[in-house]
Amino acid sequence: MFKFFAAFRKEWLILIRDIAGLIVLFLMPMIMIIILSLVQEYGWNAIAKEPKINVLFVDEDHDSLSSLIKDGLSSARIFTLITKIDSVTLTKEKARELVRQGEYQIGVVIPKNATNTMNRKVKVLVTQFISGIMMPVNNPFLEISVKDSVVVEIYFDPAVKGTFKNAFTSSMKQYSLKIESSLIFKIFNKELKRMFPQYKANEYEYKETVVFKEEFPSGDKEEIIPTSTQHNVPSWAIFAMFFIVIPLTSSIIKEREEGSLFRLYTLPVNYMTIFMSKVGVYLIVCFMQFILMVLSGMLILPLFGMPALDLGGHYTALTVMAIATSLAALGYGILIGTIARTHQQAAAFGSVSVVILTALGGLWVPIYFFTGAIKEIARFSPLNWAHKGFIDIFLRGAHVQDVMPEITKLLIFFIITMGLAGIYRKMKPPFGS
Amino acid sequence: MSGNPIIEIRELTKFYKGNDEPAINNISLEIFNGEIFGLLGPNGAGKTTTISILCGLFAPTSGKVNIDGLDIHSNLDQVKQIIGAVPQDVALYPTLTALENLTFYGNMYGLKGKDLRDKIMVKLSFFGLEKVAKKSISTFSGGMKRRVNLIAGLLHNPKILFLDEPTVGIDVQSRIVILDYLKEINKTGTTIIYTSHYMEEAENLCSRVAIIDRGIIISIGNPKELVSEHPEYKNLENIFIHLTGKELRD
Repeated sequence: MFKFFAAFRKEWLILIRDIAGLIVLFLMPMIMIIILSLVQEYGWNAIAKEPKINVLFVDEDHDSLSSLIKDGLSSARIFTLITKIDSVTLTKEKARELVRQGEYQIGVVIPKNATNTMNRKVKVLVTQFISGIMMPVNNPFLEISVKDSVVVEIYFDPAVKGTFKNAFTSSMKQYSLKIESSLIFKIFNKELKRMFPQYKANEYEYKETVVFKEEFPSGDKEEIIPTSTQHNVPSWAIFAMFFIVIPLTSSIIKEREEGSLFRLYTLPVNYMTIFMSKVGVYLIVCFMQFILMVLSGMLILPLFGMPALDLGGHYTALTVMAIATSLAALGYGILIGTIARTHQQAAAFGSVSVVILTALGGLWVPIYFFTGAIKEIARFSPLNWAHKGFIDIFLRGAHVQDVMPEITKLLIFFIITMGLAGIYRKMKPPFGS
Repeated sequence: MSGNPIIEIRELTKFYKGNDEPAINNISLEIFNGEIFGLLGPNGAGKTTTISILCGLFAPTSGKVNIDGLDIHSNLDQVKQIIGAVPQDVALYPTLTALENLTFYGNMYGLKGKDLRDKIMVKLSFFGLEKVAKKSISTFSGGMKRRVNLIAGLLHNPKILFLDEPTVGIDVQSRIVILDYLKEINKTGTTIIYTSHYMEEAENLCSRVAIIDRGIIISIGNPKELVSEHPEYKNLENIFIHLTGKELRD
């Protein structure tokens, strides 16, 4: 144990003497978590707060349908409607061209006579319905069919994401359905009044019959609101923690290249003791990185108008989870540092593999979007276990016992990677092969 | 040479992966207690390979090594306690001070506390480094680094000291201090095995030398005796050139 602490002290001194390295180790993850959280926040969530997306709106109808769609889009507060470019009213062709060039992401064209066509169609349908009730047999009126639909053209920039495109199209359908049902109701009233003069028409007011109550069940009595901060901080914290692979592998390879390893091999000390001293020092670094990133989420992100990270009071679960994640990252780093021959190999493989494991782990795209083999592979990513554990704690109010499966998997991963590093060292020693 | 050999090498051979030629080929050698034994040879002759095997860094392809009566293969931990190794490269951590480096290496031999610190300071003082004990190695000159590198292998007063070209690339003053110190500790009973390219240095320092080339020992004996056996060559360097040739080695 004495030799372990001596090696730990040496490793610690080397680390704290490298000021630039320390800045990179602690400042970069903080900057990363702030920048990436802000980018995601402003990219997706903040658009709900103030109009951000410019929509080219070509009104060829100049009637109630286009006016209602315009009002609907404006009231959504996500979009800014552009009807003129350089004081010139937009045409269909101009809008199409601007979207094609990528200057605007969406263009909507309400065609000529759209209101008339819709009115006519709805009127025929309502009249057929009413006259069908009045005279169900041999009613020539029932034979009339209105084939034309109102075709609203929507142009999308090919660079627009599918999910966003679907969300916009759904909104448009929702507005048109509201308008259509409102129209049906009005025409019904009108027709009934015409047929039955004694009928007293009601003023139409659209009210949704089905309303949705959103809830986020958590293990706690108090509901944890899943803000973007609650999602982003654990994801990016895990990502940054796994990047400890780079300085750790660098420390192992440096020792080899500078010749210290030669002497270490001649000393009466098991090399596993040296490995473990590195793990000890970098475990502290990793844990401190995690604390700093959590503090950034709690104290710095709110300064940018983002919601503060809510720890939910589960400090024990968070601590154990952070240690298990750190150990998994360190085991992986030790394994890469042992196998890689050069800094370049370690840095390239280390960083790319962490990015791949991050993607597979569902840190960028949630794992429930995955299908087939990728979904199965994703379950073997240690970053996925860590992510699941942290999300359970941050969003579902999980306690230590709830995340024990993830903690166990991460610890097993650490033991396996350390074991593999040891076996590799034995089978392929750095000298004499 | 008489007495008990402290190092016995029997038919030692080492092949590196992918090489058809052995780095050392069936070497047998005995080194006796209290000797300063020089292993001389051109680049790639097999000196470092031999030293590395003797230090327990890796195993030979075949052959046996006994150190102080212990089979190195089965008693590596015990052997490591009684040997000191000074590698060719400066095996020190550049951002640590001389004191911190030496404390770490001393700790690895189980030395600690005031006893270790006193030992370090005495040795640093001998090598004229006590004033820079708390300065980082990265600020040291090549000669200073070599001196600290040597101290790191001496802190536990090893019975046997292996030195792989300890004076390469350093100033004359540093070389004199190092060689004087080696003579000093040899007088107190430390057996020294060292490799060098400097023939004159070996001639003055060593009680015996082995000239090794292409993995084979081609001559062995007391340097003065070797010179007297070949009077036409006048010194060890000429004998060395005669035996190994003038062909450039990489």
